[in-house]
Amino acid sequence: MRPSKVRVFAPEILPLSLCDYLGEPACVIFFSGCNYDCGYCQNWRLKARSKEHLVNIDKVKESIRKNRLVTACKVTGGEPLLQLEALSELGRFVKSLGLKFGIDTNGSLPDSLRALIPTLDLVSIDIKTALNEGEYRKITGVGKPCVDAVRRSLEIVMSSKVYADLRMVVIPGYNDSKEVALSVAGSLRPLGYEEKARRGMASLTLVEFVPENALSEEFRRLKNPSAEDLRSLALASGLPNVRITHRAAGFYKEVEGGPKKKKEG
Amino acid sequence: MTEAVLNGKLPPPVRRSDGVIIPFDKELIVKSLLKETQLVKTLYGGTPMKEEDARRIADEVEEDIRSMKLRFLSGPLIRELVSVKLLEHGFDKQRNVYTRVGMPLYDVYSIDNSEGYEAKENANLQPNPETFHKKKADFLSKESYLLMLPSNVADAHLRGDIHIHDLEYWGVRPFCQDWDLRYFFYYGLMPDGTGTHTSVAGPAKHAEVAMLHAAKVLGAAQTNFAGGQGFFNFTVFMAPYLMEMDDRKIHQLAQMFLYEMTQLYVARGGQPVFSSIQIESGVPKVWQEAPVVSHGKVWKDMRYGDLEGKVHAFANALLDEYMKGDAVGKMFNFPKPEVVQRTRYWNDKSFEDIMIKAAQLSAKFGSTYYDNMIPAYRGGEDGVSCFQCCAYAFAEDGRSESFRRKILFEDGAHFSMGGMQVVTLNMPRLAYKSGGDEARLPEVLRETMSVAKEAHLLKHRLMKHQFERGLVPFASQRPRGAPPAVDIDNLSHTIGFAGMNEMVEHMTGYQLHEDQSAQRLALKTLIEMDRVRKEYSTETGMKFSIARTPAESSAQRFAVADMIHYTKFARELVKGDLEAALPGYRESRDVPIYYTNGAHVNVAAQVPLYERLAIEQRFFPILKGGDIFHVWLGEVNPDPDALLKLNRRLANESWIGYWSHTKDITMCMSCGYVGGGLNARCPVCGSESLKHYSRITGYYQDVSSWNAAKRQELRDRYRVRISA
Repeated sequence: MRPSKVRVFAPEILPLSLCDYLGEPACVIFFSGCNYDCGYCQNWRLKARSKEHLVNIDKVKESIRKNRLVTACKVTGGEPLLQLEALSELGRFVKSLGLKFGIDTNGSLPDSLRALIPTLDLVSIDIKTALNEGEYRKITGVGKPCVDAVRRSLEIVMSSKVYADLRMVVIPGYNDSKEVALSVAGSLRPLGYEEKARRGMASLTLVEFVPENALSEEFRRLKNPSAEDLRSLALASGLPNVRITHRAAGFYKEVEGGPKKKKEG
Repeated sequence: MTEAVLNGKLPPPVRRSDGVIIPFDKELIVKSLLKETQLVKTLYGGTPMKEEDARRIADEVEEDIRSMKLRFLSGPLIRELVSVKLLEHGFDKQRNVYTRVGMPLYDVYSIDNSEGYEAKENANLQPNPETFHKKKADFLSKESYLLMLPSNVADAHLRGDIHIHDLEYWGVRPFCQDWDLRYFFYYGLMPDGTGTHTSVAGPAKHAEVAMLHAAKVLGAAQTNFAGGQGFFNFTVFMAPYLMEMDDRKIHQLAQMFLYEMTQLYVARGGQPVFSSIQIESGVPKVWQEAPVVSHGKVWKDMRYGDLEGKVHAFANALLDEYMKGDAVGKMFNFPKPEVVQRTRYWNDKSFEDIMIKAAQLSAKFGSTYYDNMIPAYRGGEDGVSCFQCCAYAFAEDGRSESFRRKILFEDGAHFSMGGMQVVTLNMPRLAYKSGGDEARLPEVLRETMSVAKEAHLLKHRLMKHQFERGLVPFASQRPRGAPPAVDIDNLSHTIGFAGMNEMVEHMTGYQLHEDQSAQRLALKTLIEMDRVRKEYSTETGMKFSIARTPAESSAQRFAVADMIHYTKFARELVKGDLEAALPGYRESRDVPIYYTNGAHVNVAAQVPLYERLAIEQRFFPILKGGDIFHVWLGEVNPDPDALLKLNRRLANESWIGYWSHTKDITMCMSCGYVGGGLNARCPVCGSESLKHYSRITGYYQDVSSWNAAKRQELRDRYRVRISA
């Protein structure tokens, strides 16, 4: 392997994760640096970059190459698309090993996403709340969350061949109302979500917000939603292939009673 | 009290422990010395006391009593005075058998109040009246066996060179057993083994009865054995009773069995039976053509292979019920489900449902154990083999004539796999004793192993004697002239080990995960142990095996013993929180330090799972007596589909013979919430009244009942996150 000159802010590797890449045991690479400032963020230690985070990308590659137990690699953060060059190189490397490649993104960088699509098998996009500037501002903590960009990212993923793994962390008092669920559903439908979900290539996962791990004091004071709350929001959305994850649910569960859907995978 | 007593002319009257007060009588001392020191001959082959010596001792004791001017005298007190006198005169062995065993009143009081070291020794015992009774009995029992053992063996145990497991049952119980259900489906059930104190049941004719008999077999067996009880091939042997059952009924039966095994709260001092069942998804090759044994007969026209559909349905039902948990949603932690992995189950699509459910059960509760027959060393396709309870493994080779007879159940011939006794070696101690010199290590190893062998030979002789006299009646039962239920000569004598990681660390300067030289030495040592084991087997005709032990208490006991006897070395090596342990270890011994179990990688080591796997899998083919690979699930909500793919890799592409995924569980005592992670507050109702469950000892337990070292290990153990 020729040594690479590319350096990347990547302070952590999780050699084996059973919950970051849908249906695959995966290693997870954490890129640091983020353009949002979400109060509920669980990975806030990775928000700011520091010199110590900087490593040569070969080091990251080497740890993936040695990892015989995984079938996929996922890059998360932070916002990984902020380091497109490193991400592209990593993507090509991961594919050359025969592993699946996926990223987490907040959706605010559609151009970078479009450039990366050919190497991707799965994109996990955060849907913070109803897709409008006002609501987004409350959660992301930035003045210009660029919801239009998020919408474009969703469009790119929906019209591509990659698996669209949409995720919304449900935070009581912020985005746990039926209106939000309906509004999100209303935004996803015209993008072809339902059709893609029926082909088993898209799902929406409602994730339990865990206050103990949140970045801001304000969010730490909140309560977590109940599994029942998640279930009724899933039903309210009227969308197929909605799953919930909650500590009380044991593991990812598809919500039963919703519209008929095909098993993903 | 008379004047004569007070001025020392007469000894005071004696309160005897059998409930009377009698005048002091020297002759009684003489008589008892002559009678009781006969045991010196029985136990150690030495000489009992001569009458003249006994008289001299009695005279001197009387003299002492007079001069002490005691106002009060009791049987126990006289006995201790005699014991001191025996030691004064050099009658050490006679003292051993003449002394009393018992415990300080303070300790009795503590036990009744659920306090003190013994309160945490066995993670399975929760405080209840039966437990308190058992602990007092255990204490008495342990002390007496330490006196009865040859002094070199007893001293090796006390010094911490070795650990004799279940010492409280040393003289009366074999260790564990994996039962052949066909025996009871053919001969019926006598829980007492003789049919005199319990009713005698004929062979089960109905499915419910078959389930209940199975549960009662394990319950009855537990009264005869110190350790775990299980059924190998459980789903296969049960299948003939499910022939006419629909799926709903089979689920009901599966559920009933799980409840029986977790609610028969009667074993060994108030705890459920420590049990396991081997779950086959289909019928293994060796059983395909074997005649069905059930309903009291050997079927001429039916083979187990004909029942594969029912075996499959029953396996499904069991896993479904495990998944549901009990009425409040809590996991069934017994019987441990040992889900068998075979190439056929992975390649034949029709068995995919079992593999998926096993993964889902791991994701939800972490309760599945994977018994992997795929690696060649297991011999699983042509023989019979199982992992059991504490992760000990037993196997029978399929090439012998007796094997064929057992498969056919000829004249009641059946499998009897289990363990007689476990003796664990303190591996770091070997390193200290050899002065860190690799050339000397094999010699020191051999010395310590020979003490373990001596203990095993003694145990074998003792148990054989008990068996022949019908004193282990459930195990030795012979209904209608059948061969004995348990083949005592076929039980494994296990030599276990703890702290391989620390041993190699002392010898090479590296822990297992730090350098190849450390791994090589571990492997070399295990090969040497296996060589010595084979010698022992050939020489004695007994079954010896080498295994990783769960080391529930010995991993801590060895660490503490070495802190006492080899302080300089041990303080560099013990794992856990040494700072916290330093003030208390000489006094309480329940302190948060430990050695790493078996040949495992240090639980706190910052190495990814694949590296841990690469190191630990190499030990499995040698450790035919048992080993386990732990996958700690960091995730609160693992994805079962991802877990399934990981299982496929472990089963088909590794040498791991036995593994499990450990998920930490929080259970809320207020609202009944059960979920992943060790939460400080209930995620549903906010209550702080919680129970935390995890596994470090080899099976799931309430964390609060663990000893300090085990709780420290839980804090230390590394999940999967590292920094690049």
